[in-house]
Amino acid sequence: MIKKTTLSILFTIFIFSIVTSQNLELSAFLVPDELKENANSVIRFEDLHIDMTSQRDMTITKKIAITIFNKQADDNADISLPHNGRTIIKSVKVYYYDAFGKEIKKVKKKDFKDYSASGGLFSDGRYLYYSYTPTTYPYTVYYEYEIKTSNTAFIPQWFPLNSYYQSVQKSVYTFEYPSNIKLLKSENNFEGYDIANVEEAGKITYKGESIKAIEREPITPSFSSFVPNAKLGVSKFNLEGVNGAANNWQEFGKWYYENLIQSTLDLPEKTRNEIKSLTASIEDPIEKAKFIYKYVQDKVRYISVQIGVGGFKPMRASAVDNLSYGDCKALTNYTASLLSEVGIESYHALIYSGSGKKSINSDVVSQQGNHMVLYVPISNQELWLECTSQGTPFNDSGDFTDDRDALIITPDGGEIKHTRVYDDKENHQKIVGKYILSNEGHISAEVKMVSSGTQFDNHLGYEGRSNKELDKSYKEFWDNINNMTIDKIVVKNNKKEGKFEEDLSFVADNYGAVSGERMILPINAFNVVSYTPKRIRDRKLPVEITRGYYKVDVVIVELPSDYKIEAMTENIVIDSKYGEYKLTIEKQSENTLKYTREFLLKNGKYPKEEYKDYRSFRKKVVRSDKSKIVLIKK
Amino acid sequence: MKKVLLTMLLLAFVQVSFSQNYKIGKVSKAELEEKTHPSDPSADAAYLYKNRRTYFDYREGEGYVVVTEVHERIKIYTKDGYNWATKTISFYAPESGDTEKVSIKDAKTFALIDGKVKSYKLGKSDIFKEVKNKYWSKKKFTMPNITEGCILEWRYKITSPYKGIEDVVMQYSIPIKKYESSIEVPEYFRYSVKQIGYLPINVVSTKKNSSINFSNSSRVQKGGLYTETSYSKLDYNTNVAKIEKDNIPALIEEPYINDIDNYRSSIKYELATIKWPNSPAKHFAQSWEDVAKTIMKNSEFGGQLEKTGHLKDDITQLSETFTTNTEKIYGALEYVKSKIKWNDYKGKYTDNGLRKAYKEGIGNIADINLTLVAVLRELGINANPVLVSTRNNGVPTFPTLSGLNYVIVAVESPQGTVLLDASEKYSLPNVLPLRVLNWRGTIVRKDKSVGFVDLSSSMISAEESTLSYKISEDGLIEGMNRSKSKNYAALSYRNRYGSLKEDAIISEIEENNDDIEILNFRLSNIDDLSKPVVELYKFEKEEGAEIIGNKMYITPMLFETTDENPFKIETREYPIDFGTPWEEKINVTIEIPEGYSLESLPENVAKGMSEDLGSFIYSIKNQGNKIQIASLIKLNQGIISANYYQEIKEMFKQIVAKQTEKIVLIKK
Repeated sequence: MIKKTTLSILFTIFIFSIVTSQNLELSAFLVPDELKENANSVIRFEDLHIDMTSQRDMTITKKIAITIFNKQADDNADISLPHNGRTIIKSVKVYYYDAFGKEIKKVKKKDFKDYSASGGLFSDGRYLYYSYTPTTYPYTVYYEYEIKTSNTAFIPQWFPLNSYYQSVQKSVYTFEYPSNIKLLKSENNFEGYDIANVEEAGKITYKGESIKAIEREPITPSFSSFVPNAKLGVSKFNLEGVNGAANNWQEFGKWYYENLIQSTLDLPEKTRNEIKSLTASIEDPIEKAKFIYKYVQDKVRYISVQIGVGGFKPMRASAVDNLSYGDCKALTNYTASLLSEVGIESYHALIYSGSGKKSINSDVVSQQGNHMVLYVPISNQELWLECTSQGTPFNDSGDFTDDRDALIITPDGGEIKHTRVYDDKENHQKIVGKYILSNEGHISAEVKMVSSGTQFDNHLGYEGRSNKELDKSYKEFWDNINNMTIDKIVVKNNKKEGKFEEDLSFVADNYGAVSGERMILPINAFNVVSYTPKRIRDRKLPVEITRGYYKVDVVIVELPSDYKIEAMTENIVIDSKYGEYKLTIEKQSENTLKYTREFLLKNGKYPKEEYKDYRSFRKKVVRSDKSKIVLIKK
Repeated sequence: MKKVLLTMLLLAFVQVSFSQNYKIGKVSKAELEEKTHPSDPSADAAYLYKNRRTYFDYREGEGYVVVTEVHERIKIYTKDGYNWATKTISFYAPESGDTEKVSIKDAKTFALIDGKVKSYKLGKSDIFKEVKNKYWSKKKFTMPNITEGCILEWRYKITSPYKGIEDVVMQYSIPIKKYESSIEVPEYFRYSVKQIGYLPINVVSTKKNSSINFSNSSRVQKGGLYTETSYSKLDYNTNVAKIEKDNIPALIEEPYINDIDNYRSSIKYELATIKWPNSPAKHFAQSWEDVAKTIMKNSEFGGQLEKTGHLKDDITQLSETFTTNTEKIYGALEYVKSKIKWNDYKGKYTDNGLRKAYKEGIGNIADINLTLVAVLRELGINANPVLVSTRNNGVPTFPTLSGLNYVIVAVESPQGTVLLDASEKYSLPNVLPLRVLNWRGTIVRKDKSVGFVDLSSSMISAEESTLSYKISEDGLIEGMNRSKSKNYAALSYRNRYGSLKEDAIISEIEENNDDIEILNFRLSNIDDLSKPVVELYKFEKEEGAEIIGNKMYITPMLFETTDENPFKIETREYPIDFGTPWEEKINVTIEIPEGYSLESLPENVAKGMSEDLGSFIYSIKNQGNKIQIASLIKLNQGIISANYYQEIKEMFKQIVAKQTEKIVLIKK
């Protein structure tokens, strides 16, 4: 039986179909209810077809229709297609339809804008872009394009679901390849989804249907780590004009070294002699490496220039020597050249940078990563050097590249290695301070703060800032303290010890709130956590605390002469599997208190059911941090 | 003796010019040795010298081209100043049409190596050309061998077939030690000139003689074919405007400002007239009347207002539905909003044209608001377009057409002027998006007369919260909050929450409001623009009151408390710009728990700023087991002069102190 409303909609569609061009299948009314749940948009169908006809020829054809329910999903109606000399957009067409599937707009290739993709100094990458302004909701965008490229080193991946708040009605992915090529694949998180894969000679197909939208939640693993996906690679490929062949990481690394690295290690004679004589008196190889790392940090700066294969092949060491700048590849390569000159072996490492801890996928031998660092094995130690930053301590690059798989490139081949893992307690911040409270509630304070591990990263940005900016930064850092006037700021990047040191003194009016006879004093002045993860009524995703940390505050408080303590919070101990919190207040003399705050947050992965417990732990911390002491006039 | 004196004089002269030689390439050791900027030690970099000269060059076959030559010498003090080593020069290079040309010369990095000045040249291959889009291209380069303390220098020249003169910018985010500019314009061209910013600038105007040599070639038959060339010379005056200024401070951003560029000291030029000898002057905009006339003649502005055939049927319907003028104004505004959506492009000229914009349902600002003018006029309302410069486009202090980038609508009547903007879904008559609230607009009337209207809104942006709650003996707070937002506050509320689902709104409010738990939520008038937005909810907060010992401490306004002073910096140079006047009213009723009695209450307070700029009133009273509080913060002007910075900072300090003050209860 057809419901009345459905009937009237069908009738309307019927009317429209007579008068104007339309596409019945694209009517927004045909989206099943379960795919509307939590969805700002739904992919009605996606057909991604990749046809690799030879090692250096690949055609990518995509047809996709997305129905957009509200303005949060408007981004999906904008189309951006990257291209450069070796990647050519053969055709692109876009149609927009209203809720009934009636065509509202048609866009041709000439309507697109062509932009430079340059983020740094220069890149030859460009993109075609079209942005659409919706007039009604829901609406549907359909587009199809054909791209030809010789860059077979990157086979587009299959992520049927590629963002939060989007569901998928149907998604098909086909990859065809020549018989002389071996396919490498990595299939992840298919369980629990309606996904079929068919493999035949020279062809692989994935098909997914009815995939529900996922709502974003705080403290989760990264999206790409839990949604279904397939990543492919091929045994023979071409990278910006350079042919390559590899069946395993060893072969891939060897190809990379021979084609993209070997010829760039050309340090000029003068510099070679200079670095040798500068390090001649240093015995310990680690100390030598440290010296060279600092030499590079003092000499160069990061500038990105990406042209053709230069997007993958480092700029020559001689050019970096001459210009004193380069991108991550160039600077890594330069450091490697210098180290090699003094007899220290080091290897370029391809890696994904960023706090998300994304690893090189070891199942698919292929060009991966978005960054390069230097791997240095010395005296049974594995060191990782970040060569683009002038403030990073030696072998201590924090959350930018910690705890993940990287591919190291040696003359003999490639190998997957895991980068440095920071223990929760290594991510340390220590505050030693004192504040004097006046009879009016004003405080004058002295704070010394030292940060290391990934906590170092939070403060590194302060180095080199002007006093005016620092003044602003610290007033924001201590947003629990109002009416601050800072009279001393000393920041020091103690790179040598991997510590960031800050030394401040300031005064602040009305810190203690005077009410009648009493003064209320929030005892913990220098480290107040006010963030609680928000309440989620029906948690669906697992909990992941990516990094832990350990913060300790030891602070002396001098109380005002006219007051005595009326009431004091008791010492607090919160012990949970997610971390430990301790607040201890000791009376040192008649009007002197000492408080110690210790907060250890542990990294970890927990099932979704534990989100509530974790949240309640954090709520307790927030509450404890606000603990107050009540003073009363003597 | 004379000779000695002369030598001494010469020496003295050499001494002077040695310490500040601004000739290209003549970087001194003293300049390289400098560790920090003498008057601004926090500067990451500084212009040691910036010279710009713009002049008109007559070229046969091309006519006048505008040439701008720039010479910059930059000192890098810290690593954060390294980004000044990368230079981008944008130039106009349309796909079809004449292109500007850029040439870069003498680019070098200077450094002190072992006590000697050493220089490194920028290689030709290290200058990149990038096509930015259909119209604009860029030349980009970064200098080699940058170290702390080094000096960079370059010259570049832009040759333009167009007669526009780039803004003369005298202030950057780094200080300038010596600044010179010279704008040299032949008498045939007249420009309107306006100066903005807070620096005192002395422009020295002079005249100089110039001439053009023409050669006329003609073929003559004189016993064979000759080419005979005759020469002629044209003398004319060139007007020269020179600026020389030393030690210009850096431009620093501050909170609550209009766009920072509106505070940057600079001079803008707009072509007003071209008058060739023996021919009549060709006027571009010069007075506001001229601006009006010029734009009304334009087919993409005035011309569009005549073509309204496509609106006929809709207008008939509108005129049948709405009878009073107020109804018609509201009706027409909503009608245009529903018919044409904004494509995010600003512009005083139509993009699609009214007809196409109507048909496709999409248009730029002019498409939308000129449609509104046309509709209102058809309904018999006296509506006219208003030309505006948006906040990020600068302040149009002199008659200018190119300085305006936006158009809204004015309805003038004896009761006052009503301003409308149909590009913003939640706008209302006289409640306009913030981008428009910038100084004043120019009304361009049908009869070609011109009027001015103040855009800084006088409509008070108002928020009112009524909180009532009871506290249980264990500190649990249960209560109700009703919050009402009016005018600009309603506009921002609607923009923020208008397209969210109820769950998402609740979850945001819970997060922003100190993690309360919302039990029952109702939002009214989110789409009924004629009324204030009202949110009403029941909430709960565990340990909302703090119990220490035998006492209970309450922050009476809970999550509505202003607990942070937004004014943190010590002094301020620019006006404090809130956009519109505003007020925040909070009424609280608290029911105290059975087992407790009142120990102390905060005291009442009333503070006013001078010249009635703002005020804060806080009153509290106790009756039985109830406590009532009323707090009112008012700022009566949208823009407050920097002179009152200390006062406003002080008032907010008191607001924070008072609103965070506790009520103390004691166990019976």
